Amino acid sequence: MRSSIRAAVIVALTIGVAITPFVMTDRYILRILTFVGINLIMVAGLSLLFGYAGQISLGQAAFYGLGAYTSGYLAKAGVPWLLALVGGVAVAAIGGLLIALPSLRLKGHYLAMATLGFGEIMLFFFTETESVTGGSNGLRGIPAASIGPLEFATPVAKYFLVWSVVGIVLVLAANIVRRRPGRALRAIHGSETGAQACGIDTVRVKIQVFVLSAGLGGLAGVLYAHYVGFVSPSTFTLHYSLILVTMVALGGMGSLGGAVAGTVLLTLLPYVDAIIPGLPRSTVELIQDWTNDIYGMVLILVMLFMPRGLAGWATSLVTRFGERDRAGDSVGQGGGA
Amino acid sequence: METSELLQLAIAGLKNGSIYALLALGFTIVYAATNVINFAQGEFYMLGGMFAVLAFTQFELPLLVSVPLAVLVVAGIGMLFETLAIRPRKDAEPMALIIITVGGSLVFASLARHAFGSDALPLPEFTAGPSFLFAGAAIERQTVWIWGIVLVTVAGLTFLYSKTRLGRAMRACMQNREAARLMGIDTARVVMISFGLAAALGAVAGVAVTPLTSTRFDIGAGIAVKGFAAAILGGLGSPLAAVAGGLLLGLIEQAVIPFSSALKDVVALGVLLAVLFLRPQGLFRRARREKM
Repeated sequence: MRSSIRAAVIVALTIGVAITPFVMTDRYILRILTFVGINLIMVAGLSLLFGYAGQISLGQAAFYGLGAYTSGYLAKAGVPWLLALVGGVAVAAIGGLLIALPSLRLKGHYLAMATLGFGEIMLFFFTETESVTGGSNGLRGIPAASIGPLEFATPVAKYFLVWSVVGIVLVLAANIVRRRPGRALRAIHGSETGAQACGIDTVRVKIQVFVLSAGLGGLAGVLYAHYVGFVSPSTFTLHYSLILVTMVALGGMGSLGGAVAGTVLLTLLPYVDAIIPGLPRSTVELIQDWTNDIYGMVLILVMLFMPRGLAGWATSLVTRFGERDRAGDSVGQGGGA
Repeated sequence: METSELLQLAIAGLKNGSIYALLALGFTIVYAATNVINFAQGEFYMLGGMFAVLAFTQFELPLLVSVPLAVLVVAGIGMLFETLAIRPRKDAEPMALIIITVGGSLVFASLARHAFGSDALPLPEFTAGPSFLFAGAAIERQTVWIWGIVLVTVAGLTFLYSKTRLGRAMRACMQNREAARLMGIDTARVVMISFGLAAALGAVAGVAVTPLTSTRFDIGAGIAVKGFAAAILGGLGSPLAAVAGGLLLGLIEQAVIPFSSALKDVVALGVLLAVLFLRPQGLFRRARREKM
């Protein structure tokens, strides 16, 4: 029964995403929803690394930046978009490999600090290597994405480009977490020694998930660069990395669906006016002014009172209703999972 | 390069290093009590400066009252933070506590922006007057204050750890919290006091340096990374190692300046990664095999 609910939700969401640009023609809303999509790709990567494998990263913004700068630079030099995309993802993935190899024996706060340090060092290079990145002025005039004669120049086209990638990434991620590799990730989260004892090559799996999440970060960065047409260091800060962690934590560790929900909610938070049109201006400004406080409080409160996040909360809701249904039957069954 | 220039760099290194040492001590003390790195440690540094500015400019208290007052207030905030946000997580799972302190860092910085605005706020030097001259190098009066404060702090901590009941309880918790609890030590109280003490140390550093650099709501994260780099350089073990790590980091930073002043800000990060990757137990400790 639960899997049918899940299928219905996924179908409904997909249809919703597909028809939104035709129902809402407001450019502002489309822009925000496109950013939701870009964040979803980032968070899908972080969810695998942090939510499933338990390897915290406070430096995801670095991979986002590596993808954005690489592909922006290549595209400005006349490289076709698809090749620039491959370049951006590759450079980000290599960055992930470079940080993964020496980090293998680090965990907990050591890993958190190492990834944070890596992110800050990359931010330093984005700012200082002016000949490539344009320094703090940034890289301007990045062309829109295009595949051959097909150019993604209009807001609607960009929206569909980003959300198509989101669809592919989420299907891919869902396949990973539901099969053997996902079980390996969860095993590492539970106990690395235990995972090893079960025959899991933990070193290999950890490197793979690091590189995958970095590559997804790079992919999101590529989409961002060609969507906005401009990248500057102020986008790739520690603050953004922390918001990504907040999204995964709010959704619930070890739940892709939860991470998606957390991302949508937290990305929309500063733009409530676009989602709820009637909201008074002062309320919107108040929420925007307190956005960072809310993000921080979400982290603390979720860890204290909702350690399994939105996903855990949703599961317990479903279970409760399931029990009420079954109370009528005299035979208590395990339920169709 | 002339010796007076070298001396000038060394003075700057030992000045910054003293600040890093105070932050490293804060990290070390909380780590000893909880096995957790407090990612909000840098915010106590920021808040120390902020409350001193508030007391001095808004309430027009004398500077030498404003400063200790600010430290006390921040120590209280540290204990309150532990009571409200750390202690309720009963299982004390390290990853959850790390995330809580990360959240705390966001909240503190953001609340400070609401309360104090987003401008840089200055504070006058503790004692006005010209710099001292020493072998052709100038030493600002505030630098002497910073050194004095660090010396007094380290002496005070040494006394606390070696001569007082509380200090013995803290050391017992450092070795084995569960055993300490079974010996009748109120470990919850030790954890709370550790947070208060760490917050006070961060605030002392922040207050001492504000006359030279002024303070802003968003300086916490940057200084926390440097303080952590110093702590990890020392090995997150004894307080003395933390101080040594801080001073060493300050000197390394200055040693880079003749080659490239832009690199100065990234040196601490490089040191941090190098130590984490190559020698995570720090410079002064022997490697211990991880327990299962």
